[in-house]
Amino acid sequence: MLWLYVHFPHLLLDHTRRSQPTGGALAVVDAAGQAILQVCPQASTLGIKPGMRLKTALGLAPELHILHAAPQQEASLLEDQARWLYRYAAHITLATPGGVWAEVSSLQRLYGGLPAVWQTLEQALAERRLTAWLALGHTPLAAQLLAQSGKGDCSADHGHILATLAQLPLVAAGFDAKACTRLHRLGLNTLGEVFQLPAKELARRLSPELLARVQKIQGTRPDPKSPWQPPHRFHQRADFIQEVEHTQGLLFALQRILAELEEDLCWRQQDTDTLLLVLQHRHEEATRLTLRTTGPEHRADSFLKLLRLKLDQQPLRAPVISLTLAVKRFLGREAPSGQDLLGDGQDLNEAWHTLISRLQARLGNDALQQLLPRADHRPELAWAASAVTPASTRKLPTEAAALPARPFWLLPTPRPLAQAPTTWFSGPERISAGWWDGQRVHRDYYIARLPQGELAWVFRDVRDGWFIHGWFG
Amino acid sequence: MSKSLNHLLQDTRIWQGHKPQQRAAPAEHTGYQALDNQLGGLGWPKGALSECLLDRCGIGELHLVLPLMQAVARQQKSMFWLNPPHTPYAPALVRAGVPAEQLVVIHTRNPADFLWTLENCLRSPVTGLVMAWPRKLASRDIRRLQLASEAGNNVCILFRCRQQAEQHSPAALRLELVPGDHQDLKIHILKRRGSWPGQRCTLALGHRAGIAPNGAPQVVAGPWPQAGAT
Repeated sequence: MLWLYVHFPHLLLDHTRRSQPTGGALAVVDAAGQAILQVCPQASTLGIKPGMRLKTALGLAPELHILHAAPQQEASLLEDQARWLYRYAAHITLATPGGVWAEVSSLQRLYGGLPAVWQTLEQALAERRLTAWLALGHTPLAAQLLAQSGKGDCSADHGHILATLAQLPLVAAGFDAKACTRLHRLGLNTLGEVFQLPAKELARRLSPELLARVQKIQGTRPDPKSPWQPPHRFHQRADFIQEVEHTQGLLFALQRILAELEEDLCWRQQDTDTLLLVLQHRHEEATRLTLRTTGPEHRADSFLKLLRLKLDQQPLRAPVISLTLAVKRFLGREAPSGQDLLGDGQDLNEAWHTLISRLQARLGNDALQQLLPRADHRPELAWAASAVTPASTRKLPTEAAALPARPFWLLPTPRPLAQAPTTWFSGPERISAGWWDGQRVHRDYYIARLPQGELAWVFRDVRDGWFIHGWFG
Repeated sequence: MSKSLNHLLQDTRIWQGHKPQQRAAPAEHTGYQALDNQLGGLGWPKGALSECLLDRCGIGELHLVLPLMQAVARQQKSMFWLNPPHTPYAPALVRAGVPAEQLVVIHTRNPADFLWTLENCLRSPVTGLVMAWPRKLASRDIRRLQLASEAGNNVCILFRCRQQAEQHSPAALRLELVPGDHQDLKIHILKRRGSWPGQRCTLALGHRAGIAPNGAPQVVAGPWPQAGAT
């Protein structure tokens, strides 16, 4: 077995920097806000180092942007990285807080050798603008130690790995502080010197845990890693250093997330029709926007167009400090139907979905209606408005010839008849229904011509009032 | 007719107004022979705006468009009704052969949304027919819609108030609709492409309410006083 460890030295910084392109030195401080934990390259050129006190750092760089470490956020970020890494390697394991193991001996044939695997991963990391240190090792721990110290290279040679490991200082080996001090007092400074100690003595004089760790590094004790499985959802978050006040600022971050969503969907061979966008504000409750497309969709640019419309319609209530895009609903992808390989005709079904989605995004879902007949004797209940669905998925529920003669226009509420009609044409048609549900209707309907020349559908109800209920348009 | 005039008429360079220009302008037949004749055999222009100017609903304006709606339904295209003044009654439409599932009713809140929606509907290849009831349109807006209509090659009918008949409009076809005395519809062509306007015709549309052509009333008097019934 050969393990590859990807170490992210400052994941939180990378994540924040790619959501907002405006430069400036960045540093992560611990939860108490006392000490610096991670620094970006720009900050380190200013002389800021991890472990420094915050006050000192601010003295060196007054413009320093500060992020507070949040373990939960880091864990979810790491999971995001594992998700795309999972496309390259089948067996991966998370090492919180800042790394991922991938088992690579099984990948060599697929990629055509170790250098190819290494190169593919480095390219993928560069595309995502992430800082990461890679290392190979014959055991998970060996790979991890090499990566964390930045000494990893692309070589699977057992002897070479052990030699590099042997040169590592004890501090880099991840022993606990007490054991480290005792080893130092014994005059041991590098890992190689610890390796040479007899195992029995090591366990007796120091501790069995230390021996276990040494053996796991060397590979003489099994160190099983359970494989990680990607969750069946998409969840991406962008945090902003400076609060975003305009929609345009959100679109930059959304563009990247949507591109990742498209890649994710392509890789899953799936589509989606619902996106949930949550905008976090500093002092107010989060804004939740649900974007629905009428049909399955996976392209980033069409999502972006719809989101732009949605955001234009709904101005930001307050400056945004972070946004989250989540997709939980995945649909299997269907092959485009009714189109040959070389056909240049547009896919009408797709065009229909695009149009309806666009209209719904700007006007709201309620603005679009489809009207359907319903089986009821009462004219106002003989139709129903429903959400828009493609024509092909609908079956006509009623036989057209069985429907009674009715006007094309129906007034939403009957209007009192103000003028006496000039001519009466037919009637009465008595409609008496609704005694079963409390909406009682008892009317006699006539067709009559009003003085201005229009044909009206008028009725006289049981209380002797005359009303217009429709127009023969 | 004088000899010199005859000679002039034989000159092909002279445009003669009574012959409508034989243009390959795409159009949909109106479905009414009398109206088609007056429109030079063309009908509703495609890729251009049409206007119907009328005072009130219920004079047969939808029946004028009904043959077109049936044709669009046969082509499996979508129909959009934008801001209709009343509820389009689905049972009546289905009975008339207009499938309700091909019809989308859209309500917009402000004029900007209205124009935007209309433009988008017009530009889409899925649209067959757009019928819109605008509240108020500037000439500039109609021009914008005319361009969108040309891009999409659809039929678009605007139903506007008759007072706007005097206002200039870039629409390709303008019809003034007035109810006649016998449940018919009098059409006055205010503008059309390729020839001069001003033709009039009358369409008998009494069948829209099931009225016999002779107009004989089929009223059964009820047991109430048969007054003017107000």
